[in-house]
Amino acid sequence: MKRARWIALGIALMMILAACTSDDGTDTTAADDGTATTEDVDLSQGADLTFHMVTHADDGVFWSVVKRGAEDAAAAMGVTLVWSPSFNDPEKQVQDIEAAIAAGTDGLAVSLASPEAVGPAAQAAADAGIPLYTINSGVLQYKGLGATTHVGQTEVVAGNGAGEFFNSLGATKVLCARQEQGNIGLEERCQGLEETFNGEVVSEFIGEDVDPTGQEATISSLLLADESIDGILGTGPNVAVRAVEACVTAGRTCSIGGFDISTDIINLIESGDIAFTVDQQQYLQGYLPIVLLFLEVTNLNTAGGGLPILTGPGFVTTANVGEVKALVDAGTR
Amino acid sequence: MSATESPPLENAALEEAAYGDERLAYRGPLLRLLTRPEIGALLGAAVIWVYFWLVSDVFGQAAGAANYLDVAATLGIMAVAVSLLMIGGEFDLSAGAMTGATGMLVILLVIPPGEFGGAGLSLWVAIPLTLAFALGVGWFNGTVVEKTGLLSFIVTLSTFFILIGAKLGFAKLFTAKVIVEGLDEGSGYDFWVKIFGAKWTRNDHIFDGRDTLFGFLMVIGFAAVFFGMLELSHTRRERFNATGLIVAAAGIAGALYGVWGLRHGFGFVVGASTDTVGSNWLYAAALALGVIVAAVGIGVWRFERVSDRGSFSLSGTSLRNIAIALGVILFGSFVAITLDSSSEDIVGFMLTVQGLRAIVFGFGAIVGVTLPVLVARKEGKRSPITKFVVMTGTSLVIVGLAFLIQSEATSRKFRAEVFAVLLLIALIFFVAGLMPLLFQGREAAHPAADRLGKMLAALGIGLFLGAVTIRLLYMTSEEAAATQAVFNYRISILWFIVFAVAASLVLMRTKFGNWTFAVGGNKKAAREVGVPAARTKTILFMTVSVAAFLVGMLLAFRLNSVQANVGNGQEFLYIIAAVVGGNLLSGGYGSAAGGALGALIMAMSFQGIPFAGWNSDWRFLFVGVILLLAVLVNNFVRKKAEEAE
Repeated sequence: MKRARWIALGIALMMILAACTSDDGTDTTAADDGTATTEDVDLSQGADLTFHMVTHADDGVFWSVVKRGAEDAAAAMGVTLVWSPSFNDPEKQVQDIEAAIAAGTDGLAVSLASPEAVGPAAQAAADAGIPLYTINSGVLQYKGLGATTHVGQTEVVAGNGAGEFFNSLGATKVLCARQEQGNIGLEERCQGLEETFNGEVVSEFIGEDVDPTGQEATISSLLLADESIDGILGTGPNVAVRAVEACVTAGRTCSIGGFDISTDIINLIESGDIAFTVDQQQYLQGYLPIVLLFLEVTNLNTAGGGLPILTGPGFVTTANVGEVKALVDAGTR
Repeated sequence: MSATESPPLENAALEEAAYGDERLAYRGPLLRLLTRPEIGALLGAAVIWVYFWLVSDVFGQAAGAANYLDVAATLGIMAVAVSLLMIGGEFDLSAGAMTGATGMLVILLVIPPGEFGGAGLSLWVAIPLTLAFALGVGWFNGTVVEKTGLLSFIVTLSTFFILIGAKLGFAKLFTAKVIVEGLDEGSGYDFWVKIFGAKWTRNDHIFDGRDTLFGFLMVIGFAAVFFGMLELSHTRRERFNATGLIVAAAGIAGALYGVWGLRHGFGFVVGASTDTVGSNWLYAAALALGVIVAAVGIGVWRFERVSDRGSFSLSGTSLRNIAIALGVILFGSFVAITLDSSSEDIVGFMLTVQGLRAIVFGFGAIVGVTLPVLVARKEGKRSPITKFVVMTGTSLVIVGLAFLIQSEATSRKFRAEVFAVLLLIALIFFVAGLMPLLFQGREAAHPAADRLGKMLAALGIGLFLGAVTIRLLYMTSEEAAATQAVFNYRISILWFIVFAVAASLVLMRTKFGNWTFAVGGNKKAAREVGVPAARTKTILFMTVSVAAFLVGMLLAFRLNSVQANVGNGQEFLYIIAAVVGGNLLSGGYGSAAGGALGALIMAMSFQGIPFAGWNSDWRFLFVGVILLLAVLVNNFVRKKAEEAE
């Protein structure tokens, strides 16, 4: 049982790692940060520019694609990228921003998941004359902070795109199935759907992702209770996957759409059970800021014209799922 | 049935010897049944079912049942195990995370070792290994709690965090994703999927005689319960009188003739569903008369004549209660007649005119019927004739309400099915008032009669359940042609039933069950009388882990993949279900059946809301209200039970 020994080793390593990080958590010196969580990706081709990307990333499926985009752009532009994920810890994000300013960064891209906490530090960078871009989250705050522009997706616009897609599919009444209650982002996706969709929209909370079979039962309850629903938009990838089985149970043919990308949803789009998924194209959220920073520093270009630059909605449909699948495996979608 | 926490009056000899002592007054099996911990949950489940049946078209049909049973099954397996642990005085907050952990582990053990890699084991090895892991976690929880004396709340909270961290960590480590998938790649999958992933597709099981069999079983079941109740509540003659048998046979024949005639009318009770109950009054009268004659016949055959009928009199309180009842009923009926039955206008928070009308009327009817029954019960001890008059009056009022509903209601359900059920209730009330007037009630235990009565009642309930099961499992070819929906019953429902029955038997019939109550009630005292407290608690923790293993397998074989966060936080639902089912948070009291019923209540509420077309934002408000009501009712019932003892 080599595997078992490996697992034991893994547990031991994790415990040691956990102990280390908790010890070092209060220490803000650059050297410690560097060894613990910050990764230097030195792909420079002789250029002397260094850009910092400080995000609330968790190194999950989503952010690994953003990181890949930033790395590819840095390589293409010949600049140095410092990627600092904060694992949803605003305090660490603030410390990383301050460390980047102190290190004399040439440009900064920041995700503003916690604008109250992280905003002031980002503003300090802009005030110090460092080119600043917000990415992923922060579309409402970027102007106030003095950022050149925001690179990301707005949920309402993404919902709008889904609404138009359902129009083209000929749906008449769409269930907007949310996997969280009181999450403003998900509500905005449904709101955006309602704005552009020609038919009727019912927006319902259908249970959380932690209870997948409950989600499936709730969707089929809703379908059985309302014969006129012929489309389902899941505000996450899992909900859309659950909707497929729920439609079979209810004996209906529904057009199903989802949000974001997962292996399951890609497979179901390939098999034709799901019509589309709305893709944020987060690769762009890593790639574009580096290009924009490069152009702003070297050529004084400011893109966007004061408006945010939207990376989505892009759609994965039966038409392009084959190519997208390959790209997902390659880590860029 | 009642050998758990209240065994004192089980012994008939003891009971008879002590007769005359007021504190040990005879408590019939009926009263003992009403003081079971899960009775509140049973009533609650019935009320919620009726409620959603009224407001939704689909909920009361097989489609609805397939839906909420699916949710109830996995929730219920956990709730039953958690109930046992709670009776034993402990909590397990890691139970929810464990369901996902076992599901993930089995997949990680099975998928082939690739770039990131699993262990590539056969399912024949992987499943026992996963079970061993689950047992280990349960053993760990129990041992730490016992050895350290720390609160299980804290210990299992740690296990909870360890599990969610490990789930995410290992998922990423082995598959670089937050989801592990590919269980069907394992060898032995074809066998194990039958154990954990099988399903019964209702559409594929056609049985055209279904409704006939259903009606037949329901009628026999009703007769068995009816006879059993008579046997339990009357004093036997020393020698049976055969003349009564002939009268009873005539009555039964008449009742059967009525049922036969009403077969199409009494859709709700006997099978097919149409709107013609009211027009078949001839058959309805035959049925009612038949039942009354049969009851009297059985009485003449088996029971002693009543010695003293008393004289008609009502105390001041009773008169006041009856006056209140009449007032409330008149007010409810007045509201029902005056308010516009089709108005959908909103009159207040979440309430339409129709809703207000239904609530005022329903409340009036329930209060107006309950109060006289309580009066009849109180006065009837002294004077059977008073009981008869009050019960007859009540049953006439119910008949009146039934006809009012039939003429006023807009929905077919009320006009046909609620109408029929109300008439049946009126008939039962009338018989319940009539019998004490003619035959001597029971004041002491009678082992033979008790045994027969209980057996008949259990047989009747079994027949009801069998009838409902057949109706749920099979489709008629007519239905199959008309429906597009596919109804799958997952094997999880079967596991749920098996698990709940097994847990109930262990709790109520074994030494281990007694130990569980003992360590939850007072651990120190339990230890002093020789109960192995530490071992009992550890086994209870392991039971919860095994339940989590079972749910994890059901999940993994159903979805073929498990995401790292699956199950996290669900432990609160398990605890809520256990509490709704009448289990005390402080331990020492409760039942496994209660936990199962609690899970059913939660599942029906969760699925009833979308069926009723309510906005899902109210979901948790509804859960909160149910939880509070359940705790209040259980508390009330328990106090009454303690007073009665």
